[in-house]
Amino acid sequence: MTAVAEERSRTQFSTGTRLRGWLRNPWGKPRFLVVITWAYILWSIVPVLIAVQFSFNATRSRTVWDSFSFRWYWGDPVDSVWHDPTLRHALLQSFKLAGADVLIAVPIGLLLALGLARWHGRGSGASNFIMLFPLVTPEIVMGVSLLLVFTEVFTFIHTGTLAQILGHVTFSISFVVVIVRGRLFSIGRQYEEAAADLGASPFVALTRVLLPLLTPAIVAAAAVVFAISADDFVISAWLSSGGPTDTVPIRIYSATRAAPLPSVNAIATIMMVATLIIVAFGFLTWRFFTRGERRTGGAAEDFGGAFNLS
Amino acid sequence: MARGEIELSKLRKDFAEVTAVDGIDLQVPAGEFFSLLGPSGCGKTTTLRMIAGFERPTSGQILLDGTDVAYTPPHQRNVNTVFQNYALFPHLNVFDNIAFGLRRAKRPKAEIRERVGKALELVQLGGYEKRKSSQLSGGQQQRVALARALVLNPSVLLLDEPLGALDAKLRKALQIELKSLQQEVGITFLYVTHDQEEALTMSDRLAVMNNGRVEQVGGPQDVYEDPETLFVADFLGVSNLMEARVVSAGPTACRVALDGYELETRGTEQDVTGEAKIVIRPERIELEDHQAPAGQNRVPGMVERVVYVGSAVQVIVRAATGEPLQALVQNTGTEISYEQGMPVQLHLPVDALRVLPSGIGDAPSLKAEEAEQPKGAELAPG
Repeated sequence: MTAVAEERSRTQFSTGTRLRGWLRNPWGKPRFLVVITWAYILWSIVPVLIAVQFSFNATRSRTVWDSFSFRWYWGDPVDSVWHDPTLRHALLQSFKLAGADVLIAVPIGLLLALGLARWHGRGSGASNFIMLFPLVTPEIVMGVSLLLVFTEVFTFIHTGTLAQILGHVTFSISFVVVIVRGRLFSIGRQYEEAAADLGASPFVALTRVLLPLLTPAIVAAAAVVFAISADDFVISAWLSSGGPTDTVPIRIYSATRAAPLPSVNAIATIMMVATLIIVAFGFLTWRFFTRGERRTGGAAEDFGGAFNLS
Repeated sequence: MARGEIELSKLRKDFAEVTAVDGIDLQVPAGEFFSLLGPSGCGKTTTLRMIAGFERPTSGQILLDGTDVAYTPPHQRNVNTVFQNYALFPHLNVFDNIAFGLRRAKRPKAEIRERVGKALELVQLGGYEKRKSSQLSGGQQQRVALARALVLNPSVLLLDEPLGALDAKLRKALQIELKSLQQEVGITFLYVTHDQEEALTMSDRLAVMNNGRVEQVGGPQDVYEDPETLFVADFLGVSNLMEARVVSAGPTACRVALDGYELETRGTEQDVTGEAKIVIRPERIELEDHQAPAGQNRVPGMVERVVYVGSAVQVIVRAATGEPLQALVQNTGTEISYEQGMPVQLHLPVDALRVLPSGIGDAPSLKAEEAEQPKGAELAPG
């Protein structure tokens, strides 16, 4: 053994120790978790970024980058999102469904959540459990069942926009209930009791105290419903009557089976940005309305978790 | 002045599995500062919530100025509550919080402005109208909660551990403030607390509760000096409890024997025979020199531990009867002359020793309850 070899092995050893120390320093940041988190974020965002990048490609290729242009948004007189009527209709149909879904599912879900949270008796446990069914039922099963319902039972409802809206509302309500009920539990009964104590009837307590306090949850639920509705493929496809009732996901799916153009990337990018804006708006509203509340029992964090549902 | 009189009659509340309040009777005359004191789970908060109307009694009556309100919804009762966590509406500012009740009562705008202003002056928070509750300290939120309840001129104010979330110093200051506020507004305060010191310093009278029942009702001094049950003796302050055998019992004096020593104690109305407990407060035990002449109610002992607590010195003495007894010696500035292993003589003054029947603290017998009823009635003026 020479002194040099000894020296080297000691250096190697200390480098390894230092790396380990850097990763799990009990007094510092949890770097190991930070590394994993960033690795995951990169992994999940890279495909999205690539898709977005090629929506700006100047040529018809979705794999070979040429140069930056808005050709597939509005530049191309035939195949751009703006000029291709099928794409334009798909975009409109998606927004129409998402908007109608929000307007119908949020009020119903809100009332259901209020009822379920205040109902302690026979059947309340079962109802709470059944509420989660749409969240765990495979969408394809739900799509097939809904189609059967509309073709065999409620035959006066034909496939198309109305059936699609009803389908979306059916599974969206659960999300609204889960989000609003979470908020209801975190604010507890004390504000309602205080309102009653000060002479407010149950209805006044609801409108003057409970609804303002639920506003962040309502906005968040609306944002989540919009996002999942715009994102939905399976149910929209089963209940579509073709042509103008095809939504963006259906259009993208059928386009990629033929000869896809970067306009598919463009329409996907538009949907993504629109959804992001709405979810960000919901999140900011929630933050704005809850800014003054003391963080008791991590209610705020629990609630923020609702956004991960989308 | 019959406004704000509360009478509970056989009030009972059963939840799915437990009986929270087990048939209590209480009379609180108008204008009294009355406390419900007890450990958590004793039913004090449930009792308060039934009076406020948030819980529906299983059976029994709640008479407010003579009318039974047990089944009146909370928004139609002339009582207001200060909640433990204040429950200030986070979406409203201080003014709107206090004005909430007045607006529900459809008072004219000018009157609302005037009364809210006065209420804020009363709790010394003038000029805080525009603040959000999140911008207030704990003590300030507490005052806003008080103002919000008092602005409606209730006949009874219910307070559910209102000082529980505050630090010790602020709590002390607010105790005094609350008491003088109560005297100023002159309405009945029903105060729920688990803090015995709080209950003793503020109340005109208090009820000590345990297991959904009232153990004893009386003025702070009665309850502290004259506990009727083991539970009350043990819960209020520190008590030295010793096992003893009753030699003779009577209303003027009792004699008990413990381990070769015979002690004389205060008389008792309760039926005590055989095994019993004797109780003495640490501050009532007198420590004497071990060479002092032996005599009545004197027991030799040995100092086991000396604890300096600032205002006093706690001396734990192992008495010759076997029990460790805690004595409290006031700190008068002279040097502490007790040390471990030092022999002393304990003097347990006759009027500081009480005999209590064993076991009554755990499961209050009917006897103990009957004993307190006439007392509550006799203290009630009118």
